[in-house]
Amino acid sequence: MSDRIVDGVRKHTPSILLFFDESPFSLLWLWLSTEKRKQIKSEKIGIILYIAMASPGGQGGGAVSTRGAGARRMKWALELSLGNARGRGDRQSNQGDVMYPIGYSDKPVPDTSIQETDKNLVEKRCWDVALGPLKQIPMNLFIMYMSGNTISIFPIMMVCMMAWRPIQALMSMSATFKLLENSNQQWLQGLVYSVGNLLGSALAIYKCQSMGLLPTHSSDWLAFIEPPQRMEIMGGGMVL
Amino acid sequence: MYPPSLVVTFTKKSSVKMAKLTSLFVISLSFFCISEAVFEDQVGKFDWRQQYVGKTLFAHFESNTQSSKKMFVATDKNIFASFNSRTGDLLWRHVDKTGPEGSIDILLLHGQDALMVVGDGRLLRSWDTNIGGLNWEAVLDTGSFQAACFVAIQDTVKLVAVLKKAALSLHYLSNGHQKWVENLPDSDAVQYQAVYSGGEEEVYVLGVVPNSHLTIIAYSLEDGEIIKQSLDLEVSPGFQPVLVSSQPHPARSPLSEFFLQLGPDHHVLLQLNADGYTIAPLRDFQPAFLVSFATTGKKTVAAVMTPKNETVMLRHSCDPNPRWLSPLSFPLQACAINLFSVDSGRRLLDTTVLFPLELNGGKPHALYVHAFLKKDDSVGYRVLVQTQDHALTFIQQPGRVVWTREEALADVVTMEMVDLPLTGTQAELEGEFGKKADGLFPMVLKRLSSQVTLLQAWLAHLWKLFYEARKPRGQVKNEVTIETLSRDEFNLQKMMVMVTASGKLFGIDSKSGSILWKHYLENVQPNAAFKLIVQRTTAHFPHPPQCTLLIKDKDTGLATLHVFNPIFGRKSHIALPALPRPILQSLLLPVIDQDYAKVLLLVDDQYKVTAFPSTKNVLQQLQEMASSIFFYLIRSDQGNLSGFRLRKDLSTERIWEVVLPTEVQKIVAVKGKRPNEHVHSQGRVMGDRSVLYKYLNPNLLAVVTESTDTHPERAFVGVFLVDGVTGRIIHEAVQRKARGPVHFVHSENWVVYEYWNTKSRRNEFSVLELFEGTELYNSTVFSSLDRPHLPQVLQQTYIFPSPITTMEATLTEKGITSRHLLVGLPSGAILSLPKMFLDPRRPEVVTEHSREENLIPYAPEMPIRTEWFINYNQTVARVKGIYTAPSGLESTCLVVAYGLDIYQTRVYPSKQFDVLKDDYDYVLISSVLFALFFATMISKRLAQVKLLNRAWR
Repeated sequence: MSDRIVDGVRKHTPSILLFFDESPFSLLWLWLSTEKRKQIKSEKIGIILYIAMASPGGQGGGAVSTRGAGARRMKWALELSLGNARGRGDRQSNQGDVMYPIGYSDKPVPDTSIQETDKNLVEKRCWDVALGPLKQIPMNLFIMYMSGNTISIFPIMMVCMMAWRPIQALMSMSATFKLLENSNQQWLQGLVYSVGNLLGSALAIYKCQSMGLLPTHSSDWLAFIEPPQRMEIMGGGMVL
Repeated sequence: MYPPSLVVTFTKKSSVKMAKLTSLFVISLSFFCISEAVFEDQVGKFDWRQQYVGKTLFAHFESNTQSSKKMFVATDKNIFASFNSRTGDLLWRHVDKTGPEGSIDILLLHGQDALMVVGDGRLLRSWDTNIGGLNWEAVLDTGSFQAACFVAIQDTVKLVAVLKKAALSLHYLSNGHQKWVENLPDSDAVQYQAVYSGGEEEVYVLGVVPNSHLTIIAYSLEDGEIIKQSLDLEVSPGFQPVLVSSQPHPARSPLSEFFLQLGPDHHVLLQLNADGYTIAPLRDFQPAFLVSFATTGKKTVAAVMTPKNETVMLRHSCDPNPRWLSPLSFPLQACAINLFSVDSGRRLLDTTVLFPLELNGGKPHALYVHAFLKKDDSVGYRVLVQTQDHALTFIQQPGRVVWTREEALADVVTMEMVDLPLTGTQAELEGEFGKKADGLFPMVLKRLSSQVTLLQAWLAHLWKLFYEARKPRGQVKNEVTIETLSRDEFNLQKMMVMVTASGKLFGIDSKSGSILWKHYLENVQPNAAFKLIVQRTTAHFPHPPQCTLLIKDKDTGLATLHVFNPIFGRKSHIALPALPRPILQSLLLPVIDQDYAKVLLLVDDQYKVTAFPSTKNVLQQLQEMASSIFFYLIRSDQGNLSGFRLRKDLSTERIWEVVLPTEVQKIVAVKGKRPNEHVHSQGRVMGDRSVLYKYLNPNLLAVVTESTDTHPERAFVGVFLVDGVTGRIIHEAVQRKARGPVHFVHSENWVVYEYWNTKSRRNEFSVLELFEGTELYNSTVFSSLDRPHLPQVLQQTYIFPSPITTMEATLTEKGITSRHLLVGLPSGAILSLPKMFLDPRRPEVVTEHSREENLIPYAPEMPIRTEWFINYNQTVARVKGIYTAPSGLESTCLVVAYGLDIYQTRVYPSKQFDVLKDDYDYVLISSVLFALFFATMISKRLAQVKLLNRAWR
């Protein structure tokens, strides 16, 4: 999973880092862009990158390295693939490796699967997936409590995210079911999963309600009331 | 008969602390609140003011030199003013009290001093004519004023003599102190009319005993002793001569020549011979409308105005009967003014001045001549002509009109604002949609061609903008003419149609204030009642807009209609209905005839209805909907309100009547709602997000009464809300210990009125708001005949720190913008008071809900903030009325305040939310945008280069 993230970052960072050196905005931007690409644990990237930026000395865990600090203005850049980390001569000598994807191994992997524990693991993993939405609820409640009922940009963004995630999850139910295929309690897990998502969306709706975003009052429909038609024509005045 | 009062007024302060808190809150709120005031660079950009003085009664020129620039007028509006005679601009103006208390009886001018008797002989004032400052003021003894003149002792003017009905007094010119006062003998029988002094030691007083004889009394200047009394001139009954004579200097005897008017346009120049008994005619002027004397240096000339038309002269000379010589009986093109030598009666050469008469103007009424000696010692002159329509025209030789002042505009009675027509190209584009399709290809071609013309017009407009932007701002002056008039983008420029009391109609461009057309209606009685109705707007393109003016003669009760095009002022040639009976009221129906003109119903004193226009189509429509047409009449003298229903045969039946006994209270005013008012929101959102629905009865009338008893303890003011269809009294509010004049506004679901509280001796505003409750009875139709529930009425009262003269509410296109009240103050300021402050739901104790609703906590004192004055320092003297009209922009309301002056401006009650600000920095914003755009492009390129470089490494 982590190399996928790194992969995603690599494709997006260069231009950003050029212009938003060490600014918190770059983090936000990154966070948003990754959020857009794939549904992933965005907070982690942020933290990773922030750590990376906080230590520009070059010890950034291999993913970050310093460049020649003399002429270049940039202090750091991401070097994510192994190929790039090597020098030019290095690459020429290893030209044969390029044909294979990262992590490819010529040797066959020995089959070390053990049936009984594996089954349990699959089961456990499937329950993790099914209970995921339910586990998020306390966290969401906390966020709800923290964001308050005022209508401003951040609470609105929170609410939108809270509402959108369960809906998206419900829409991609078939993909989730595919994940749960191997489990014995597939239907129960599916049910729990959908109930969790429904609860999540109910929470979002409750939040909308408490923020006053739902048109549940008569005042919300006031603007649509047409002025009543006049049945009588009347005029006159003081005698001239 | 005091009706029970349901009024709750919150005028008590709960506690000092509370008041402090609330005032703090209000102050802090005001920072977020509307700031109305204009910026310095906006002065005069959207507003203009015109100042007037009224009908001239007396006019004098400063001195008899060619270079003098000042002239002084005193008018029937109790105004003493000075004009620059080169431009016609007002130099200074003194506005006195209205009514007989401030009326100017006479204006005399001597050197730097202007002497004025004010208020029917109550005050004698002396003004410094240079700066318009008051030198002194002296209170005169009681008695009605008759005449006044300067008195000279040994060739210098030192005194002024004032003749009252029963006394003659002499005052020093330097300080106004009285020298002596003498009672006139036999003042019951003798009508003393004139006072005269010829520079000798005597003052002469002329009295007339009706149908008997003249009497002349001479007083000694020193002590006021009667020197001699002569009773020798007998007059025959019916002797009504009009004598025009001249006394060039108070220290010398008057000229022996004088004019005698024999007919309306027949004057004779006569000379009194040296023996004092025989009179010799010098010259006969016929026809001659006006005559006047003018003196310069030692020369005195007579100016005579004659009609220019040659044929008229001929006809007159053969016609011996003077009764035929009415100046109104023939159309005139121009008048000629000539100078004549007074000594001989001979005409002076090269002194003819042509006075062009306008087609729809008034006839000449008075002539004021400013004569001066030219360098070659000949007499030159300028002349000020006053016409019957109160216009002043200043003419120079040889007939050049230097300036014209339309003083009729000092007394505007009623006005309307009419949309300007679309331009030719716009109209063409509009017309395209109405037409039937005549093939695809021609339509495409037509569309393309009209788009091209639009593009051309736009390019021309751009070019003009660019061209004008290079000039300094003062020089850019758009000449507005009737031909170039067209509606602007946001319909902010309109035609103001103004009806004045003199019967002259004006069409004024609302943007620049220039008079585009004028039309004088002759034979309008001075006390006539006017009602101006817009029957067809400019929206129906091939048909011209149409306005109808209903003029009712108060004496005979008969009414006439004047139908005209409000854009060009031309009279429409439409068959007018015969109105043989006195008309009581009129009623404009939303029904239109086949020419898109709204139907006007005229109700006569037998309650029969005449329709105008009355085509077959209209009559048919009227028959169909007769049962839903109602009207109401209010007779203030009988305290009677009555409602009528129209029958199919255009007669009426009385369906209700309310009588308010006239011995207790009298009906002062009644107001319905404005027909062009739109209410966007049908209710008010409460703090708990429920809705309080407004009671929007389109047939509701607000009737204001005042008690006949004016004792401060017993006086009261009543406000009745009456349904005009059913006569049902919806609500009555009686304000005890209150006195008028009551000014009120009735709009939407509220009535705001202002009165004088006799107990606390202060002005108070009271607001009534009507709500239907939390549920609507019938949300689709409103019928007064089916409304079982009475509305909930809320009321609050506030103290206002100033008396007011008029009040009106702002009006916008869709009614989304919040409302303001425009209040005219006696100081001449116009206050834009947010309706938010006049809200009966303002709480005494602030709660969560009231805060949610943005209600200001109740404070009894209503503030007047100087930034609420929409006319900054452009005060409008004697505001009589404020007219509001919606513009094409929802945020903008056009305002015209009229009275003695006319002031036009725009107000933005909710600020300009739908248009970029006037000072919006286009340059900065667009340069930032362009810079960002290019920066993005460049950085993209740089990033690409960098990536490539890195890939190569």
